[in-house]
Amino acid sequence: MSDTQNLTLVQAVRDGLYTEMQRDESVMALGQDIGKNGGVFRATQGLQAEFGENRVVDTPLAESGIIGSAVGLAIDGMKPVAEIQFSGFIYPGFDQIVSHMARYRTRSRSRFTLPMVLRAPYGGGIRAPEHHSESKEAFYAHEAGLKVVVPSTPYDTKGLLTSAIRDPDPVVFLEPKLIYRAFRGEVPEESYEVPIGEAATRREGEDVSVFTYGAMTRPTLEAAEDLAEEGIDAEIIDLRTVSPLDIDSIIESFEKTGRAVVVNEAPKSGGLAGEITAIIQERALLHQEAPVKRVTGFDVPVPLYAMEDYYLPNAARVADGIRETVEF
Amino acid sequence: MVVGDIATGTEVLVVGAGPGGYVAAIRAAQNGLDTTLVDKEAYGGSCLNHGCIPSKAFISATDVAHDARNAEEMGVHADPVVDVAAMQDWKEGVVNQLTGGVEKLCKANGVNLVQGEATFVDDSSVRIAHGGEGQGSESINFEHAIIATGSRPIQVPGFEFTADPVWSSRDALAIDDAPDSLVVVGAGYIGMELSTVFAKLGVDVTVVEMLDGVLPGYEDDVSRVVKKRAEALGIEFNFGEAASGWEETENGIVVATENEDGEESTYDAEKVLVAVGRQPVSESLDPENAGVELTENGFIETDDQTRTNVENIFAVGDVAGEPMLAHKASKEGIVAAEVIAGEPAALDQQAVPAAVFTDPEIATVGMTEAEAEEAGFEPKVGQFPFRANGRSLTTGESEGFVRIVAEAQAGFILGAQIVGPEASELIAELALAVEMGATLEDVASTIHTHPTLAEAVMEAAENADDQAIHTLNR
Amino acid sequence: MAIKEFKLPDVGEGVAEGELVSWAVSVGDAVSEGDIVAEVETDKALVEVPSRYDGKIAELHAEEGEIVPVGSVIISFDVDDGAAGGEDAPTAEADDTVEESADTDSDEAAAASTADGRVFAPPSARKLARELGVEIGAVEGTGPGGRVSDADVRAHADAEETEESGEEAAPDAATTEPVGGTADAETTSTTTAAASGAGADREKTLAVPATRRVAKELDVDIDAVPTEETREGEAFVTEQHVREFAEGGAEAGEPATAAAGSATGDQPREETVPYRGIRRTIGDQMAKSKFTAPHVTHHDTAEIDELVAAREELKATAEEKGSRLTYMAFVLKAVTAALKEYPVLNSELDEEEGVIRLKNYYNIGIAVATDAGLMVPVVKHVDQKGLLQLADEIQELATKARDRSITRTEMQDGTFTITNFGAFGGEYATPIINHPETAIMGLGAIKQRPVVQDGEVEAAHTLPLSLAIDHRVIDGAEAAQFTNAVKSYLAEPTKLLL
Repeated sequence: MSDTQNLTLVQAVRDGLYTEMQRDESVMALGQDIGKNGGVFRATQGLQAEFGENRVVDTPLAESGIIGSAVGLAIDGMKPVAEIQFSGFIYPGFDQIVSHMARYRTRSRSRFTLPMVLRAPYGGGIRAPEHHSESKEAFYAHEAGLKVVVPSTPYDTKGLLTSAIRDPDPVVFLEPKLIYRAFRGEVPEESYEVPIGEAATRREGEDVSVFTYGAMTRPTLEAAEDLAEEGIDAEIIDLRTVSPLDIDSIIESFEKTGRAVVVNEAPKSGGLAGEITAIIQERALLHQEAPVKRVTGFDVPVPLYAMEDYYLPNAARVADGIRETVEF
Repeated sequence: MVVGDIATGTEVLVVGAGPGGYVAAIRAAQNGLDTTLVDKEAYGGSCLNHGCIPSKAFISATDVAHDARNAEEMGVHADPVVDVAAMQDWKEGVVNQLTGGVEKLCKANGVNLVQGEATFVDDSSVRIAHGGEGQGSESINFEHAIIATGSRPIQVPGFEFTADPVWSSRDALAIDDAPDSLVVVGAGYIGMELSTVFAKLGVDVTVVEMLDGVLPGYEDDVSRVVKKRAEALGIEFNFGEAASGWEETENGIVVATENEDGEESTYDAEKVLVAVGRQPVSESLDPENAGVELTENGFIETDDQTRTNVENIFAVGDVAGEPMLAHKASKEGIVAAEVIAGEPAALDQQAVPAAVFTDPEIATVGMTEAEAEEAGFEPKVGQFPFRANGRSLTTGESEGFVRIVAEAQAGFILGAQIVGPEASELIAELALAVEMGATLEDVASTIHTHPTLAEAVMEAAENADDQAIHTLNR
Repeated sequence: MAIKEFKLPDVGEGVAEGELVSWAVSVGDAVSEGDIVAEVETDKALVEVPSRYDGKIAELHAEEGEIVPVGSVIISFDVDDGAAGGEDAPTAEADDTVEESADTDSDEAAAASTADGRVFAPPSARKLARELGVEIGAVEGTGPGGRVSDADVRAHADAEETEESGEEAAPDAATTEPVGGTADAETTSTTTAAASGAGADREKTLAVPATRRVAKELDVDIDAVPTEETREGEAFVTEQHVREFAEGGAEAGEPATAAAGSATGDQPREETVPYRGIRRTIGDQMAKSKFTAPHVTHHDTAEIDELVAAREELKATAEEKGSRLTYMAFVLKAVTAALKEYPVLNSELDEEEGVIRLKNYYNIGIAVATDAGLMVPVVKHVDQKGLLQLADEIQELATKARDRSITRTEMQDGTFTITNFGAFGGEYATPIINHPETAIMGLGAIKQRPVVQDGEVEAAHTLPLSLAIDHRVIDGAEAAQFTNAVKSYLAEPTKLLL
């Protein structure tokens, strides 16, 4: 029987990396400040001391370099886990992602695949200046050839990271930093996988399906508990992977309830909430009893400091959205 | 750290790692709650680091020296040399052992330990400032908080502790060598304990006290025994005088006092120890940000579940009010943790025992005779002098007595006062009696080992019914 | 002046509680023994409660509409000393023990909890009190000086519990097991809906959003719209279905099923109605009957042109005598005659004793719909009564049932039941037997239907019959034969003269 530890989400990232790097010598990590400093969020703490400078590499401040090098390493047989310090900093390396990272399988007709992971802390709510609160998973979901994963619990974090590392294709692994340390969860010491592309039902319900992921899972669950007292029984699905979406789970839930709400912190337009809405009406129109409600961020840059609280969906906004759907 | 503020979440945040805080944290963790314990200094709080433990260590050490020096009657001749610096090292060792133990226990129970000073941001988060580590500060979001920030010595205006010759009890216990002479302001339990220690170290001790007796709050016939012995040790008492100021002199300092008629007196000494009481550490927490109300004196009012006026915030220990005793803090800490865990816990003790480690010791629990009468009982009192106790005579310590206060109708024991050898240990039996609702008969008819001091307890109970064997019943 | 506590008396047959429907007195009124002080509804009937004392009303301890357990105090009377309360005098004194916290009275306990409310109890007892939710100051201590022990705390907690739970009386068997409709087609009160074909009752319906909009506009519950179409294996409704259903409902003058469906705007999502009293009793008895007896229903149709004619002939005479001659009277006669031939349908199964009791008397119950639910008054000894007498009695009992003045006896002792759901419409049904009887006959709507006579299809008056039997006692053959007999009597009513 293996032991479990009580870890925060960021500790689970570290544990996932550690466990996999122990298992597989081709797994390596690269990024700014990750080696000697252990990562600005301590996600790679102690790894360089354990595995050496060749497997835990401190890179220069050059996102395109980090990502490009990872592509090269992956072609040549390594399993690199590249860290970009904040998801908002990925853009200088965006070309590497969409022009190359996403395309090697197609380009080489599957002769080469890139078993690499691009990890970055993402999302707002931490009172940071510009560029540090982005939630642009839609950019990567829109690029065929990429998988995009967003965990919400310590257990899922280690499991999904393990799956991402083992995946022969590239995975963009976005870590919701708002909840990096917000709570602890049980994480087995041993190695285990949580499958990519599979959603998890966090709460079963009959009246409305609420789809969410990342840091928004918690306020959504809070809203569900509040609404239960009003007699509204919400089903909460944590998508965990936003590309590819677990369409079967989405439709199965929607066919049960006939109503849906999508909660994410990304800007509304062009986001995944719209994608989910389209899928629902495509496949389950006849079950639909109300318009799909999107509870999202706004089409503005994430505001600064206290204004952030107005931008991010909170339990009250989610509850209002659910109520609107149910009362249609 | 880096840009942005990522808050750590926890279920129970305990501020202050003294006997109230660390006990609460361990109990909370035992109950499966995610717990974080914060302290800006060493774990163990004032009690372990600057109060109970250091003072008792010094008391034990000085007692050994004093007893050895005065054991001629028993045929022991000795004149021990006291190395105060070594005593200090030894005492630090004991303190470190205990604080290390607290840290280990916390970690073993899964309590998250944080060093830093906490201030409330609102009723669900605190900011922790990490002094000097270069880490700046961090945020912690909590579901419940237990305030256990304790107390600090009251500073008398004009006698700022920052001045080198002015000591607080903490300074007095940090010495590496003893001064030649010492003025002690305050004849409460701290003043008396430390006066005794220094007197036994050969220091010239002068006590000034505003009231007209030592150890107010204890009955006269109890405190009288201690005062007599203190005087026999060479301690000089000056009552009715309030310390008004001090000045440096060539050889040290001179302390000025005023009595109620305005007459001044002066006392020369090397140092002055100010021990006039302790006040709660509460304002620096910014409790108003959480909505927590303070009383006029800075205490935090709590109900019998240790809850403050804010539902998810609790307060235990010295900061929550009198009596400012470590064991009361621990009990409150346990209740707070259990209440948070959803158990039907409450503070329902009938009495909190207290002890003064003077020479001889004093220990009390529950009601005095006067208090019993005021409460509407018909008191029935039994008393037994140590002079009539065999074991007491064999130790050479036979001053003092055990007094038990009961109510006449059924004989329920309402309280007890003990002054004499090992009073602090003996009181435990009577504290149990009071809590259990035991009667005089229960104590009197329990066989007590012979020869022990505890027999005095049994005989005091018998005496209440005029049935004591070894003393004339009044 | 003394205070006498008046407790709600046992209203009979093990009834455990009643609803205090209305007070007949107010505080300050002078009342004599025997005066009615209140009306209480039990799960059987509405009962008037007489006073047991002469005196003045000092306090009323229940509110109108409140459920009051039998034995609890409902009135405090101010009486003059010596005012006898009848056989209840000794128990009136014992009232004190029924009240809570006995400890406050005893003086010995004074020592235990005196001076500033101090309680002498060890910490373990105090903790136990907290855990059990007991106020430690209220516990009577049995230790020396009144000291409270763990056992004392437990005893106090147990005592509190038994006071709070009223006695649980087993719901009575006997009567009130209705199923079908009314005794007469002209009655107005309706409670049971769901005659077959009125609407669907699905949990899930598929429809395009546009259809749902139409349903909402027309205030139609989409789950109630009947449809034959399916998509993906689930019922599928189109706009046309919705409109047709909406129109059909309007014609019949009844709204499609009662359910509100999804709430719009200010309407609450649901309304809660208490499930108690008579409704609950009906529910319990229905469940009991259906789940113990294996029900089999035999359907057939009686051609009753001759009966219609006969009734027409006799109607005038009946009116002269002040009676309303209904079909039900004829049916009673026909059924009784058939029961005489097939006594096994007029029986009761006693499983404990292992016997089937065949009754030699014929008490036919007739299901009546009332505001409080279905009730079954019983017409006794049908075989000994004439047609007009039966018609009168049916009328009388139905009225009494509806205005709640019917007595328990009038609803007891049935041997067979008839339920006329046809008064609402419909042909066949599967009625639930009125336990502990073993058979029940349901009547559909009497109307003209096509029948084949001499090889030609003609319109004739028909009365559909639905006979449900307890197959532990009666077999299908007997059911069929019995029904045939009833049919034959209804088809040729003159046979009843034999």
